[in-house]
Amino acid sequence: MTNPKTTQKRSANINLARMRKAVSPKPLALGVATVMLSGCGDDREQAMVFTNLDDCVNQLPEQAEQCQLAYQSALAEAERTAPKYNSQSSCEYEFGANQCTSYRADNGSSWFMPFMAGYMLSSLSSPRYYSTPMFTSYSPYSSYRYRWIGADGKDFGDFRKRNLKVSKKAFAPKPTVSRTIKRGGFGSSVRAKSSWGSSRGGWGG
Amino acid sequence: MLRINIPERKNWQEQASEFGFHFHTIDGEPYWDESAYYQFTLEQIEQDLEAPTEEIHQMCLHVVDKVVNDEQWLSQFQIPDMFWQQVLDSWNRRDPSLYSRLDFAYQGKGPAKLYENNADTPTSLYESGFWQWLWLEEQVNNGVLSRASDQFNSLQEKLVNQFRVIAQHYDIDHLHFACCQDTDEDRGTVQYLQDCAQEAGLNSPFLFIEDIGLSETGFFTDQHDHTIDTLFKLYPWEFMQRESFGEHIEAAQVNWLEPMWKSVLSNKALLPMLWQLFPNHPNLLPAWFEQDLPHSNDAPIVKKPLFSREGANISILRGNQTNINTPGPYGEEGYIYQAYAPLPRFSEHYTLIGSWLVNDEAAGISIREDHSQITQDSSRYLPHIIL
Repeated sequence: MTNPKTTQKRSANINLARMRKAVSPKPLALGVATVMLSGCGDDREQAMVFTNLDDCVNQLPEQAEQCQLAYQSALAEAERTAPKYNSQSSCEYEFGANQCTSYRADNGSSWFMPFMAGYMLSSLSSPRYYSTPMFTSYSPYSSYRYRWIGADGKDFGDFRKRNLKVSKKAFAPKPTVSRTIKRGGFGSSVRAKSSWGSSRGGWGG
Repeated sequence: MLRINIPERKNWQEQASEFGFHFHTIDGEPYWDESAYYQFTLEQIEQDLEAPTEEIHQMCLHVVDKVVNDEQWLSQFQIPDMFWQQVLDSWNRRDPSLYSRLDFAYQGKGPAKLYENNADTPTSLYESGFWQWLWLEEQVNNGVLSRASDQFNSLQEKLVNQFRVIAQHYDIDHLHFACCQDTDEDRGTVQYLQDCAQEAGLNSPFLFIEDIGLSETGFFTDQHDHTIDTLFKLYPWEFMQRESFGEHIEAAQVNWLEPMWKSVLSNKALLPMLWQLFPNHPNLLPAWFEQDLPHSNDAPIVKKPLFSREGANISILRGNQTNINTPGPYGEEGYIYQAYAPLPRFSEHYTLIGSWLVNDEAAGISIREDHSQITQDSSRYLPHIIL
């Protein structure tokens, strides 16, 4: 009886698109559209919120350039579209102490507006991706408190969320967010041994 | 098992940057080397490498079972006593493992000899699971290699599948990934695992080991104060257990990858322990703890620190003489000794085979070449085929 060996010893299929890192350099669609999150059905777009540029680069090191572009356009957009207030106190009433900055318009008038608290990016793997500035409030008097808020006041939900297409399954057993009291308690052995480390660093073997 | 020269793909460097493979050249020296490849027969792969890999893994699990239940062994393995209960719990729960790499000396015939088990933080994963796979696809498509060529490399498929298993086991939809700052190679390895996890449908946020936070409620947090439920760390257990956050590991209730019971296997004390439990096994080299070292021994032996990586602090001894000695920062926890089995030579190269496991299944091999008998981080990575 013949028993031809058909079993291949290597992976049958690899999703090359996922493995490809350099997104063809189509610049950010300027003009910056607001990411639409319809909130119904499965057609919601996956979007991520980053609190600053480093955050984006650390999460998506292969897309540092896109992070940078997206960050800059979100910043520019924030200046243009953020809610503006006549006085610092009314801005801080809505967004919290030390959450506002002054802004001088081209016509010379000056205003107060909240700092950009983060920026939201649509999926970077799609050829057209979008960024939009996000704000949040720390004021106990505001309905924006601890929410991600778009420039137009749209509420995107809890500001601790990073992926705005939220899975139906809640993050089960533990609170998803906890106040951090210290960092840096791991990693010291690397510093101690790094003068010996392989020339390329790293602690894998 | 043959070493065969082959023309390099013309555009491979560009392609590497397209795919984000940034460490193919390190300090100006080639690391990924496709000027040659190794060719195996299917019998060599299946009988001499695949089957022993799975068998040795089962033997290793047997060692874990013995060590975690015995304080004498736990202390011989230099696991700090604060972690004995956690290591035991992790084993009793059978916390799932992702991957390991066994290193072998093998020359195409006779039994492959186990050098060590990289059970906690193995690297060269991307090169193995993806990059050499792509090399074969293209060299076949270019007509340079026969269509009948195969490769012992189901790593990526199995990793994706194991992430699904782990997600189901812990009932999670996201998994944090971490490695240390300032290392392209580790970051690349972790990025690869993030890609595999995403392929399995998981969210895979990244943070640096140094940025892990401790919350007021005793959990570990990421850079956004999100609680870390499940963490893949490319960072050795023996470091974490000795660092300042070590005492918070238990209360933090993290699902760890690798699980803490792996700290028994990534430890070189495994080698003499294996030899005690499975003496004269054809794939094992004789190995001893310091106190059991035979007095009259003229045969060369290798002295290895309990904890070490990338060939650091390894000496080859003959009688009272040290023949070869590599520098490094390890050794304060003690040493083990292993009979010296030279690496095979292919022309002027010494060749070491890494044999991968995903969970408990053999999943492929990787080949490293060095100009020295002790494979260090300067060694080059070469692809292989089965024909």
